[in-house]
Amino acid sequence: MIDPRTRRTLLLAAGSAAALLLLAAILGDPLAAQQAAEQASRDYRNFPVVGSREAVWVAAEVHLMFAAFVLGVPMFAVVVEAIGIFTKDERYDRLAKEFVRLLLIAYSATAIWGAVLLFLLTTLYPRFWSHLATIFEVSMWIYVGLFFVESFTLYLYYYGWDRWKKGNAKYGHLVLGILLNVWGTAVMFIADSWLSYMMSPPAGVTADPSPGMVQLWSAIANATWMPINIHRIIANVVFGGSVAGAYAALRFLNAKTDEERAHYDWMGYIGNFIAISALLILPFAGYWLGREIYAYNQSMGITMMGGFMSWLWIIQAFLIGVLFLAANYYLWIGLGRIPGGERFVPYTKWMLLVLVLGVIVWATPHTMIANRDELAQMGGMHHPFLGVLGVMSAKNTAVNLMILTTFLSFLMYRRANKSPVVPWAKTGTLVQGTIMAVAAAIVIFYGVYGYFVSAIVRIGFSVYQVGAVLVTIIAVTVIDVMMAKGAQSRGEIRWGQMPPRSQYALFVLVVTFTWLMGLMGFARSGIRQHWHVWEVMRDTSPGAATPALGHAATVISTCVLIFLGLIAFIFWVGGLVEKPAPVPHAAPKLAPDAGTRGLAAASGD
Amino acid sequence: MTNLKVVALVIGLLAFYTLIANAIPQVQSEVPQELSFTGSVSAEELVAAGDQLYQGAGGCTACHGLGTRAPNLLADEAGTGLIGARCANRVAGEDCKKYLHESMINPAAFVVAGYQPIMPDLRRTLSDQQIWALVAYLQSQGGEVTVTGADLATAPPAGGSGGAAPAAGGGALAGGSTDPNELIAAAGCTACHKLGDQGNAIGPPLDGLGARRNAESIRRKILNPRSDTTRGFEAMAMIMPPTFGQQFNAAQLEALVQFLASRR
Repeated sequence: MIDPRTRRTLLLAAGSAAALLLLAAILGDPLAAQQAAEQASRDYRNFPVVGSREAVWVAAEVHLMFAAFVLGVPMFAVVVEAIGIFTKDERYDRLAKEFVRLLLIAYSATAIWGAVLLFLLTTLYPRFWSHLATIFEVSMWIYVGLFFVESFTLYLYYYGWDRWKKGNAKYGHLVLGILLNVWGTAVMFIADSWLSYMMSPPAGVTADPSPGMVQLWSAIANATWMPINIHRIIANVVFGGSVAGAYAALRFLNAKTDEERAHYDWMGYIGNFIAISALLILPFAGYWLGREIYAYNQSMGITMMGGFMSWLWIIQAFLIGVLFLAANYYLWIGLGRIPGGERFVPYTKWMLLVLVLGVIVWATPHTMIANRDELAQMGGMHHPFLGVLGVMSAKNTAVNLMILTTFLSFLMYRRANKSPVVPWAKTGTLVQGTIMAVAAAIVIFYGVYGYFVSAIVRIGFSVYQVGAVLVTIIAVTVIDVMMAKGAQSRGEIRWGQMPPRSQYALFVLVVTFTWLMGLMGFARSGIRQHWHVWEVMRDTSPGAATPALGHAATVISTCVLIFLGLIAFIFWVGGLVEKPAPVPHAAPKLAPDAGTRGLAAASGD
Repeated sequence: MTNLKVVALVIGLLAFYTLIANAIPQVQSEVPQELSFTGSVSAEELVAAGDQLYQGAGGCTACHGLGTRAPNLLADEAGTGLIGARCANRVAGEDCKKYLHESMINPAAFVVAGYQPIMPDLRRTLSDQQIWALVAYLQSQGGEVTVTGADLATAPPAGGSGGAAPAAGGGALAGGSTDPNELIAAAGCTACHKLGDQGNAIGPPLDGLGARRNAESIRRKILNPRSDTTRGFEAMAMIMPPTFGQQFNAAQLEALVQFLASRR
């Protein structure tokens, strides 16, 4: 677990501490030596084998993965339930209940890992925990209270599902689902205040604050609190959708009947739709968070983007590239089960080309830190070739074109088995195509123009590029919904008739999402470097150095393995307790946009 | 068999991602090593310690290693040589040692033309000895090292104590004076703010401040520089030190607030 460099650092630190103690004793001040040793043991304790840092790291990360899952799933479960109520289609209600069943047992695991994290922090980092508790004690009590309320709301929501199924009681049940989300979001906001405080404490805080010295609200509403809250809400939906999709994929692959296979094919599609839809807006929340970090402390921002973590963003670009490719691949295969989908298949190879080129550009390094020899080898600050592709102008262009391409895949999927009957259908399609072409032109124009202006002007161009893409997504979707009114079907969708390889794409998605979550957690936490609380409370433990990406990757993979292993076990146990009712032959009759109509504000055709 | 395939895919992907992350250059963020030099420390020892800090835990290369965010100190600049050769000619009346040291503890004082004032006050993260070691290392890049053990014993001019933030101790500034002009000079306000014919336009001007903010707002801004940032100066908000609350005593703070509020 510990790489040689870290081991050397640990040994050096331990050796230095021992030498200092010995020196103090020799110099005739045994009392000082004893006091130093006592102080060190009061501040930090060691966790066997892996060390304190790794122990807390794993506990925090696995807890966060479970927490993201149990916070994300209720968000779309309640929306799916609402669609079931308002469309009077019971399939949605069954699906919503199945989503909630996934999180019921995962909820206990979240609490268990939260307790593990708490005990590790209080026993291994007592001074740091005391610091947090001094400032946040009131919010910690509220957190516990809300957690209690949230748990019982979940029990009522799930176990009351069949009892409150009809009439006004069903609306009451829906309100329970909404309340579950309110409590869960509040719990997350409180926990976010603690971790964001560690990154961006308000001015005037000291390492040893006395009770009441720091105003609780100023510590909670710190500079990065709200950006992290928003980023996490969206990311939780992405994560919940991908885990639910993987669950459906596993059930699909092990299905014994066509009905079962059809149901889990549909469920997997919806999980993927939810995950990718939320993923498309996640970068904007990430951009806001990054901007706030820079505004709070520029050197922290530079450490994050251009310091020892600069390679991390190349890995991130690669992982997001994998996500885009896997999600689109799943959709393209899905066209094969939709009558009429075959007319779009020839376009997919060109879309694949755009995605691959986009990933290559996005993952191109630019201003990596180099020593004198490396600079001499490159012949300058930047690699003569990579310097051109690695700049933000090229990367923003690549990302926005990838988003547009993915949106086009969804659009093709939606329209695959429809023949619009509105008289303006041809014009509508033409307008849609024009809007997309104009958006792509705007993205490319500002991407090229960015090379000829100063950095401060170039940064502003990203707003135009993102704006063009967002407006396109909204406008084209609205037109599509209107065009689909009363559309003729080209044939029933053949739910369940997907090749097994399509389901493995869903596993690629869940593993990559989870790994990416661990990586971003490392980035957020790692930019504090050797500070428990940035520039307020120094980390003086043997594990204070922030490890390199290789070591971090090993820990992240361990966390992902633990999480996925446990969630697979939990789902299996859940399956023993209650088997979901097999879905009658209704699922294959669903349209390609079934399950997403309400989510995408589509028509009720 | 299906489940085994899924497990193999998951483990294979995890191994793949881990391998990629291990294949790229491995950079660890080190903790700045505490220094305990005595007055007899040699120039070589200081340079060696400074080298280690500059390339590692000091985090200097994040900006100075590229030449885009900040000048590359280890590369020639328009024929003026490396930083050790060009530092003495940067500011009239400032020798190399003084210029470099001042740049680290009061970074807004000398911002090189064409760059943003993004450098943090190094006293927030490094000790005095570590800062002097950095000065010695930079001097050694094309110049003569003049930092000695005597410098290490000298207290920095703006109240830096090393280690964490600049020293607390309200009233230490300007010898306890409540003269606003002395306070402004001692706190270095004009390094970023224009006042009369003095100062720089990095932050909003202090002239006319009373017309834009009331006394309460000015007081809050001094104590918490990130509050109510003036439009157009958001990116500069982090530069103003958040430590004036500890450096001024109450009488000094009030004297300064009233003085600034009267500048209409």
